[in-house]
Formats: sequence, C-alpha cells, structure tokens
Amino acid sequence: MNTINLVLCGLGGQGIVFMTRVLSQVAIQKGYDVLGAETHGMAQRGGSVVSHLRLGDVQGSLVLPGSAQFVLALEENEGYRNLPFVAPRGRFFVNTSSPAFPNEKAKDYLDAKKIQCRGVPASSIAMAMGAPMSSNLALLGYFSAFGDEPFSYGDLRSVIQQISPDRFREKNIKVLEAGFDRGIKEKEV
Amino acid sequence: MERREILLGNGAIALGIVESVCQVVTAYPGTPSSEIVPEVIRFVKTSGFNTYVEWSTNEKVALDTAFAASISGKRAACCMKQVGLNVAADSLMSCAYLGAVGGLVIISCDEPMPHSSATEQDTRSMARFAKVPVLDPSTPQEAREMVGVAFSLSEEFRVPVILRPAVRVCHARQSITYGPMVEGGRKADFRRNPDRWAATPRFRLTLHAELNEKVIEIGKRFDRLSDHNFHDLKPGKQYPLGIIAGGVPYAVLRDILREEDRTDIPVLKLGAPYPFPESLTSDFLSACEKVLVVEETDAFIEYLIRDRHKILGRLTGHIPREGELLPQVIHRKVSDVLLELGQQPLKEEESAEAIAVVKALELPVRKPSLCPGCPHRATFFAIRNALPKAIITSDIGCYTLGVNMGAVDTILDMGAAITMASGFYHSFAQDGVAQPIVSTIGDSTFFHSGTSGLLNAVYNGARFILVILDNLTTAMTGMQPTPALGIRANGNKGKAISLERTVTGCGVEFVEVVDPYDLEKMNEVLKKASAYVNDPGGGIAVIIARHPCLIAYREKAIPEKKKILITDDCVECNFCIEHFECPAIFQDQALGRTSINEQICSGCGVCLSVCPTGAIVEVA
Repeated sequence: MNTINLVLCGLGGQGIVFMTRVLSQVAIQKGYDVLGAETHGMAQRGGSVVSHLRLGDVQGSLVLPGSAQFVLALEENEGYRNLPFVAPRGRFFVNTSSPAFPNEKAKDYLDAKKIQCRGVPASSIAMAMGAPMSSNLALLGYFSAFGDEPFSYGDLRSVIQQISPDRFREKNIKVLEAGFDRGIKEKEV
Repeated sequence: MERREILLGNGAIALGIVESVCQVVTAYPGTPSSEIVPEVIRFVKTSGFNTYVEWSTNEKVALDTAFAASISGKRAACCMKQVGLNVAADSLMSCAYLGAVGGLVIISCDEPMPHSSATEQDTRSMARFAKVPVLDPSTPQEAREMVGVAFSLSEEFRVPVILRPAVRVCHARQSITYGPMVEGGRKADFRRNPDRWAATPRFRLTLHAELNEKVIEIGKRFDRLSDHNFHDLKPGKQYPLGIIAGGVPYAVLRDILREEDRTDIPVLKLGAPYPFPESLTSDFLSACEKVLVVEETDAFIEYLIRDRHKILGRLTGHIPREGELLPQVIHRKVSDVLLELGQQPLKEEESAEAIAVVKALELPVRKPSLCPGCPHRATFFAIRNALPKAIITSDIGCYTLGVNMGAVDTILDMGAAITMASGFYHSFAQDGVAQPIVSTIGDSTFFHSGTSGLLNAVYNGARFILVILDNLTTAMTGMQPTPALGIRANGNKGKAISLERTVTGCGVEFVEVVDPYDLEKMNEVLKKASAYVNDPGGGIAVIIARHPCLIAYREKAIPEKKKILITDDCVECNFCIEHFECPAIFQDQALGRTSINEQICSGCGVCLSVCPTGAIVEVA
C-alpha cells in the first residue's frame, strides 16, 4: 500500500491541531497506521504552524518535499510557504477569498506539475455560519467532497461528532456541511 | 478487542513508564518533554494506580528525588528537556557512580534546530560524559518499548539509564496499541550502606572502577540488543557504501531507502549507541568500503568509532554540523555521497523548483511574538518607558519575546536574569558608574533557579530592579502550575508558596505587587524602585508584575473587554507598532493606515495609553 502524505498549515490559533486530530482519527478508524508531526512551544506564539500526517508503513514523521498528495492551508502565505511539499498531481487547497489566487508567479509551476490548486473561501463560509473561528472545519468539509481515500465526508462527520466539545458540536457540523456543499459544487470545475 | 489510539510520542513514553510499573515520576517542564507528565497522570488516573508524580521545582531536584526512590528499591523516572539535564548534571554524574536499585530512567528530550531551546546539545554526549547507557528511539512506538528496556537494564546493571527522544519522537503522533497495565511495584526498603550511598572520596575510586566495569559489560550487551541495534548486511557481501544511523535520522533514512528500493545500501541502526557496541559496528565497517554516519544532534557515534578512515559524516563535512536533519537534508546528503563515490544517486528531488517559486514570492517572515493582551508586553513597555537607559537582563520563558520590543538585552540560562544583573552591577560599580539595571524573570523560572541568585545578589550588595513577571502559570511550556498556585501535577491541592514571602525571605526589603495593565501605576513603582536602588540606604528592589496569562485564564484574565479603535488622529508615526508590538495592531495595506485586527484583539486596553497622539481610543 502506498503511503498517503498530508501537510496542514496555517497560523497559531487557526485550529491546525484539531484538523490533524480529525484526519488522523478517521484514518485510524479505517485501519491505517498513522504517524504525524506537529509544532509546539515557541513556534506557537503567533508563528507559522505546520502539521504533517502520514498514513502507511512509515517511521519518519515528516513528509519529504514533493511527496504530499494533499496540502491544506488555512492562510494563503502559509500555503505558499508549504508549496514545495505538494506532489505532482496533488491537491493544494488554500483558504483565501482573493480573486488573485493563485499568484501569477506560482501559476506556471502549478500547471507544469498538474497540481490541483483551489482557493477556498473557508473563512467566509465559517463566518456566514456564525462561527468565524471555524475556517478549519469549512476547509475540511470542502476537502471531504473530493472523497479521497480514506477521508470521506461521512467518516469526517462522524469523527467530528465524536471529538468536538459539547458546546461546539452542532456549529462544527454545520460549518463542515457548508464546506462540503461548496466542494461538491466546485468538484468538477 | 485491542485498544488502539493515536498518542503523542510523549504519550507513548508515558505509556511505557506506566506499563513498566514505575512508581515515582518527577519532572520539570520544558519543550519538547512537557507532555510526558500529564500523560502519565492520565494513565494513572484512568487505571486507579497510586503512582507518585510531581512537577519538581527544577531538574536537579527532580533527579535527586527520583534517585532516592530508586535506592529505596522502587522504579523511578525523571523527565526533562536536554538543557534541563545540565541543571541536573551534578546529580547525574554522582548517581552514575552510586548506582541504582529500583530501575532509574532519565528521559532527556533533545531538540535539533533548536525550535524552543538555548542549545542544540546532544544528550548522548552527556550520557557518555557521565558513563551511563543511553537509548535513542526512532519512533514513539520504539520510545515506549525502550522505556521498558531501560528499566530492565538499570536494574540488571544497577546504573541509571538515559532515554533521549528527539523532538520528532516527542511531538510525533502515532497509532499505538495498548497492552496490559498492571499496578504493582515494591514497598520502600532503603538498606543503609554508607560506603555506597554516602561514599566519601576514598570509596568513590572503587565506585568509579565498578562503573567502568559496567560500561564494558553493557557495551557487550548492546552488541546483541538486536531489537534496537541491527543491520541488514547479507553474509559475505561487500558494499561500496553503508550507513550508520540512530534515532530520528534512522527513521527518515529507512523510509527514503524503502521508497526508492535501495537494498544495495546496508544500514546499521544504533538505537543503543553507548556504551558503544564495538563488535557489531566493527562487523559492519568490515563489509563496507565507506560508511556514512547520519546522526542528530551532534557527532557522537562518529567520535566513538576509533578507526575513522572509512567514515564520512559531520566531522568530514558530509553531513551538516548544525540544524535539523530534515528528510530533504538527509535525502540530498546521501545522494551527494553516492555521487561522490561514483554510485547511482537517489531520485531527483521534486522540490527544488518549488523552492525557487516560493523564494520569488518573497513571503513575509513570521516571527513569534507575545500574544495580544499578554501582560508581559505591558511590563516591558513600562520598563522601557520609565528607564530607557537600563540594561535589561532577561530569562527563559515566553518573555524572551520581549526582544522584539527592544526590551531584552541578555538571555543566558534559567535564572541568569538575576545573576547577570549582579554581574553587571559589580562590573559598572567598580568603575564608579551607576548603571541602571532591570532584571526580568518569570514566576516559574524564579522558583526554578532564581532564589539562589537573589540570595547571592542581596548578600553581596548588588543593586538593581528585579521585575518578576508573575502570570500565575508556566506559560511557554503549556500552562503547568507553579509552586505559588498550590496546585500539584495531578490537580490535587498542595501548599501554596508565596512569591512575596520567598522574595522577602531572600533578604529583599523593597517588594511591591503591581498589575502591569495599569501602565501609570507600573511607571510610578518603577521610578520609586529606581530611587530605592540608588539610595545609599537602599538595595535590590523587587516588583512583582502580576496579571494572569491570557491563554491559561482566558476570559478571567480580562474581566472587562474594551473595544478599541484607531482614529484619524493617527499620524502613522509607527510608535505603537515598533515599541508596543501587539499583533492586533497592524499596517492595513488596504486602508493604507494603522488599524486594529478585531479578530485577535484581546480587548485588554493597555494600548490606550501608548499612542503619543492619543489616536488609540475606546469605543463606547
């Protein structure tokens, strides 16, 4: 079985750790061996936060650049910063509402490597649902619409049901759903 | 059904500790080791065990305590970060000689890069310095297994054993299958033996000889410790290149070679590198023409190999001498060596082009800064304002970030804010210069190693202002309680130690407690303290700047949230951005002016008295 590599990135406080938890929990429930790496300590004080996740028979917790099938970014610049991780033909989903995304300077590269690049207005989706801090769930929902093994919408949803704190559970599911709907609409574009 | 869960590497280590029926666990928090204790407590609580777990006041205290448990016959573990082992070195060097009864395992977590540490030092070198065995796990699962191995070795050879997981083990997450956890252990039984436990120099020579014997015996054992020290040489085959690796670099290398199906490159993994497995290594060296050593955080195995004529590594410049050996670094360096030896290199890297693309984007560098609303920001701002010419010595904690505000001049080690302030005072006073000096140290760091420096400063007549940044928690490492809170590691009530009385007990006669959010009051007390320091009858002045950490206490830290606005009176002087450095105040490119980011503004309102033109106002 081939290794599945993901890189999740953003800024401190955006909920990267929660996103990683959801995806790893889905994977472990589907019987995958899971290994990941996260940022702690000084780097959490407002700096870039990156989380690596690897599914399969691996021992190293970090993803080798050029080998992540999925890079999900909660902030545009952090997305670009982690662009080198995206594998050819991988998915590069970035939370942004900027019509200028992706940057001209990156476009040729993305095309040459056949990287599927999507600007996802995750913050706006979350804001519209009355949960401005939940852009992470909107992006997860969008991603789940693509149904990549093992991250199906249904499984993500049930894990979020399980692990969300009581007071956020309902909101979290709503934002996930809104992200998913958006993803379904844009999937075949 | 078997229970499988994703655990942090530190959780896997904690599991290993509890599975090994360890009865006493002591620690001082420090990245990347801090989560071991909370995870131990979680397992102990869910299992209903009566394991004793404490946050000690520092690492030496922690090791001494664990050592006493060990010589009472109990298994004891002591956890810290790598620089913490320096603090505990006095204890370590001596207890290596005295030995152990119940298994004594020291877990010292290394941090290449160094993301959150003062140095990139290699705990394996400390182990060799102390002549105690060291185990170097590659994954959380291996770390968990090695805890058990370490306890057994410690009891069999009566020696403390060090486990040194690096950050990519501690802060990796891995799916782990639980095994049985049983309560058990032994009754405390200290057998008096002054020749050993209270050994005078005469007996120390004997103990040293005993330790040297143990080192030889354990080295032989490590030749056969095949779960953690092994190679994949095919009998009789000769190889142009072999690689020796341990710890995290082994895991990375193993994945790369498998991915690229490079069975032509044999690897010797040394998960137990000291005492050095001479014979196993010698077999490996004989089968290879050249051997690359890939290890973190320093050259260690490379130095232990006595005949280095075949060896490539950090000493020959084939492996970087500093920084983290990220997968891409190992990939490139191994490939370079293969090319140099005329062998087939690894596959072309996919990322080189992307790195150039990213570089062309000129992304802003994000440096960490104090959180919006952090009380330390208010304190630093007040100090810089009241005493612009002061040398500001600081210490280890979140407040090192005060350097962004130009409010931190020195950082050396835990407690050095106070000891260096003494040193500066005497250096200037000797020349008859009254140099203003302000020392800043956090509450937890003060309890860790501030008191001895303060006693010394008072006793030797130093003069400076000491500001204790009391945010009622150990913030940087993840909100562990301090002795002042009277809450113990397991959440139970302990005796609260008063910071004020501790300072008074050190002989300080000027102690004032101020909430730094009140900049005016803070300024006034700083001026008063300065007068006291310069008064012939004065001395050291201590200000306790007390306000709860926003991360630890959330809403409670800001009882009345203020809504802040920047008005048209703003003249774009950038004073607030440069000197107050709050992440919530920023240059809005779209508006072309300074603005408040409401999403992250804490509403603390401290900035209201910062703006020289009064353009920062509260919205009613």
